[in-house]
Amino acid sequence: MKEEIAQIQSDALSAIESASDGQTLDQTRITFLGKKGRLTTASAGMKDLSKEEKPVVGQLLNTARSAIMDALETKGRILQDEDDRASLEGLDITLPGQPLHPGNLHPLTQLKDRAIGILRRLGFTLAEGPEIETEFHCFDALNTPPEHPARNEKDTFYFDSGKLLRTHTSTVQIRTMEAQSPPVRVIAPGSCYRRDEVDKTHLPAFNQLEGLYVDNDVQVGDLKGTLEFFYRAMFGEDTEVRFRPHFFPFTEPSFEIDARLQLKGQDPEWIEVAGCGMVDPAVFEEICKVRGDDLYHPDKVTGYAFGMGLDRLAMIKWGIKDIRLLIENDARFLSQFS
Amino acid sequence: MLVSRNWLAEHLDLTGLSNAELDDILTFAGVEVEGISEQGVSSDLVVVACIMQTEPHPNADRLSITQVDAGEGELRQIVCGAKNYKVGDKVPCALPGAKLPGGFEIGETVMRKVESRGMLCSAVEIGTGSDHSGLMILPADWETGKPVHNFVESDTIFEIEVTPNRPDLLSHQGMAREVAALTSRDLKTVEIPIAELAPAGDALSIEGQDTCPFYTAVTIRGVKVGESPEWLRTRLESIGLRPINNIVDITNFVLHELGQPLHAFDAAKVSGGICIRNAREGEIFSALDEEDYKLNASDCVISDHSGSALALGGVMGGQDSGVTESTSDVILESAWFDPPSIRRTARRLNLHSDSSYRFERGVDPQGVASASAFAASLIIRLAGGSIEGPTIHAGAPPELSGTVTLDPVRLQQLVGGAIPMDKAANALERLGLTSTGENQWQVPSYRLDLQRHVDLAEEIVRVNGLDTIPSRNLAKAAIPGRVDTLYDLELDLKKQLAALGFYEAQTIKLIAESQLRDVLPLRPLQDGDIIRVRLPLSEDHSIMRPSLTPSLLSTASRNVRQGAKAVRFFETGRCFRNAGGGKATDLETDVLGIILGGGGQPDFWARGANEACDGFALKGLLENILPGVQLQLTPADPGNFMLAAQVTANGKTIGSFAQLSPSRGRELDIEFPVYLAELDLKRVCEFRNDNSHVVELPQFPGSSRDAAMEVPAELANAEIEKSIRKLDEPLLVSFGCFDVFRDSTGEKLDSSRKSLAYTFHYRAADRTLRSEEVDAAHQKTLQHLEKTLPLSYR
Repeated sequence: MKEEIAQIQSDALSAIESASDGQTLDQTRITFLGKKGRLTTASAGMKDLSKEEKPVVGQLLNTARSAIMDALETKGRILQDEDDRASLEGLDITLPGQPLHPGNLHPLTQLKDRAIGILRRLGFTLAEGPEIETEFHCFDALNTPPEHPARNEKDTFYFDSGKLLRTHTSTVQIRTMEAQSPPVRVIAPGSCYRRDEVDKTHLPAFNQLEGLYVDNDVQVGDLKGTLEFFYRAMFGEDTEVRFRPHFFPFTEPSFEIDARLQLKGQDPEWIEVAGCGMVDPAVFEEICKVRGDDLYHPDKVTGYAFGMGLDRLAMIKWGIKDIRLLIENDARFLSQFS
Repeated sequence: MLVSRNWLAEHLDLTGLSNAELDDILTFAGVEVEGISEQGVSSDLVVVACIMQTEPHPNADRLSITQVDAGEGELRQIVCGAKNYKVGDKVPCALPGAKLPGGFEIGETVMRKVESRGMLCSAVEIGTGSDHSGLMILPADWETGKPVHNFVESDTIFEIEVTPNRPDLLSHQGMAREVAALTSRDLKTVEIPIAELAPAGDALSIEGQDTCPFYTAVTIRGVKVGESPEWLRTRLESIGLRPINNIVDITNFVLHELGQPLHAFDAAKVSGGICIRNAREGEIFSALDEEDYKLNASDCVISDHSGSALALGGVMGGQDSGVTESTSDVILESAWFDPPSIRRTARRLNLHSDSSYRFERGVDPQGVASASAFAASLIIRLAGGSIEGPTIHAGAPPELSGTVTLDPVRLQQLVGGAIPMDKAANALERLGLTSTGENQWQVPSYRLDLQRHVDLAEEIVRVNGLDTIPSRNLAKAAIPGRVDTLYDLELDLKKQLAALGFYEAQTIKLIAESQLRDVLPLRPLQDGDIIRVRLPLSEDHSIMRPSLTPSLLSTASRNVRQGAKAVRFFETGRCFRNAGGGKATDLETDVLGIILGGGGQPDFWARGANEACDGFALKGLLENILPGVQLQLTPADPGNFMLAAQVTANGKTIGSFAQLSPSRGRELDIEFPVYLAELDLKRVCEFRNDNSHVVELPQFPGSSRDAAMEVPAELANAEIEKSIRKLDEPLLVSFGCFDVFRDSTGEKLDSSRKSLAYTFHYRAADRTLRSEEVDAAHQKTLQHLEKTLPLSYR
């Protein structure tokens, strides 16, 4: 019996050794350790053994069983590892990766957020106003003469109600000062509308960002400092900024701002980027009338205001040559801003 | 406006001031130079040359080889492409090194193996005309070898944008005044005769005082209408005007010289005298441009005693009253018209002229009479004749400029003390203002824009330049307000949607009437809620969008037509509607719109055919962006859509959901199912902002139980959920449907019924639940369901 056990163990170990796959190994396990397996059958012979032999043979059986089981487990692991390795066989890791649906924010949103971020650093908070506006908020309160061309129905969208689509975000200056006492330091990004035919550089609707700062000692130097900071933060700290005197009805003095920028593949050039100026006292006087107090009396406060075209800024920043790309939402265009 | 440098130089010495410097000086004083063009050549290297020989080019049919005498003592060989010359002709010749207008520099070259040492030029090439058909043939008496500019004056033309507040710059005299002020140069004295004005009798009357407060007329008899002399034609041509005849040319010249528009009538066509009146309602006026205009009572008409209109005051002369070849007596008008009236008339009739352009901005009231006298003297000089009687006038020039107080304290506050008062005063003096007392400044009559302290301050800053004022940056910390918070929440939401594989779209908020069938508004639209633009640019942009879905659908369609296999876009922004049939407030609501359709996953080589998204993909997305919120769809009237539902969050409606009808999809070239959602952006942001408390993680394990139930096919999951929630079993922490089975054949399950499987999760916060406790709670749940709904367990 001892010899038989030794033989079984030896046969089992060599069968395990030679097993080349999991199935054969499993078969081997059944052959030796299964209910009718050789070791199981052999252990049935225990009952015929003498009392003295029983523990010795029992010990042998146990040793054989655990040796076989260990070998099975070891071999099993080896075969599993081999299988695992085999699963990589022929793998071409140069094949394309599994794509995800792409997505990102619209370039105008990205640019607007950047602009807001810069101005918030200077202590501006956001303000807003309606896009369907009154002539008062869009023109009268902004010192625009009754016969001013901008009021023309050829240039501005009107409604039967007499209201209009705001032609600039400067309306939010008025809305803010009506509702809020000085000091005021706000920015207002938003849509504006002009009756421009659609072409490469015009859309009937476009986006502006307005800024207004009113306090008891706002100077031309503050306007300069703020906008120089803005364009340097936006386009790089070496960006040169210059102020050209200009005319707007609601600021005096008024300026246009040029930044010296390098468009892709071109020499640096001065590009007009914004209009600005010191709030005209006539605007403050109108605010005082509406509010019925004198908190904004031109003797008490001064202020500056600026407005910039966000679409234009985006076109400059990314070298976009046709403004229509910004409203067509072609994924092939949008995907470039990830 | 076009300004000729030569013309300007009649008014002040421009020596030593380059065109580029002049450009800079003006631009940084707020007088923007938009373009500079050269007329003629200024180079000494463009000379008169005589063609001595010509022969065909051996290697090119279209070229010839010429030998020219350019006054150098020997002949110069130049290859030439033109054919319009003969030997002996004199032509402009650009020698090597010459720079032509446009910056093109001439060199010695070899053309088709033949040496060419210069270029023979056309009129266009040397900037003296528009003829580019061949060489410019010069007069035979021009001396060979002399620079062409000795014979043809070269000039530089500045194209200037004059802002509406500066009508005083709309003449060469005005520009000269500005340049003189900015460069501290002296103006040359231009002799302008002083007009003696006499009150008009019956010969001149003003009825419409409001549109024309001041009118002068002078009669010149015995003029000879003919061609203007060379100098006058050159002046007019240099700024792009076509010479007509000496009388008309003089009125145009004076307009561009002094800024005062004039008009010359043929005296023979004026019957009786002149009467300035408002037009009759509906009066028809035949203007010089051969068009008829229908006038109204706010227009100003210059008529004669017969009542017929000679001119539309300040805008344009009449077809029949003007000066012609046969005119011998002229009545010269010089007047001042009310700017708003002229602007209204010109704009309404869409009739704009050099005159209306100046009158509607405001001409110098004190310049009216002297311009008349100046023009009259020119007429006598150039066309002969004599002035008959005095210059008669009606009305008086309005006093529009006076004394303005400069407030030094406010000025120094504005500029941060950077411009000393003496420099400020100097700037004003250079601009022609005179000090009349402490901080009192008399404004010249042509500066109608200087009325207040701030106007003077602007001039001082403008003349001194902004470089002198140091930049300052006093940033202050600011607490974010309501709009800031909403902006941040919106941006977070947009970033999440982008991360979930959606592109943000931005579209124009004006849409077409035909797009209204695609709207999925937050709340149903009533008739009259739509806000229409009164005068749309085109049908495509005629309506304020009441919903984002029309634009999202056109975005989807555009992308599918470009080959996109899935459409995944969102947009946030304003939508518009009237609160009550057009009679109430216009409402503007910020909305989130989402469109989803097509492949659920992008195509991948390792995967077979890709299944298109269904509506649960979009519902799942909404659940994803509103975590912790009970989101549900409640079926609604589909209208134009295949399917529509209200979106509720914690029981409150926050928007709409729809599936596009496949037929509409096909019209848009979209073959896969398309799902749309439109949500109230503010409410979405509020829900997301609410989700700000951390819930402690459970300390004890829970247990799950499943249940399969058979229910009528029409019983909605929402009913079952509602019933479970109503029970409010304390141990039940979550539940959800995980399988739905239906059999349309009726073989395995009656087709009027469906089988639903739910999983229920039970847990207590303070202990591990015993199995019996879980079973008891589960049984309670199941019995409650069975009692409240028509269901049976399988």
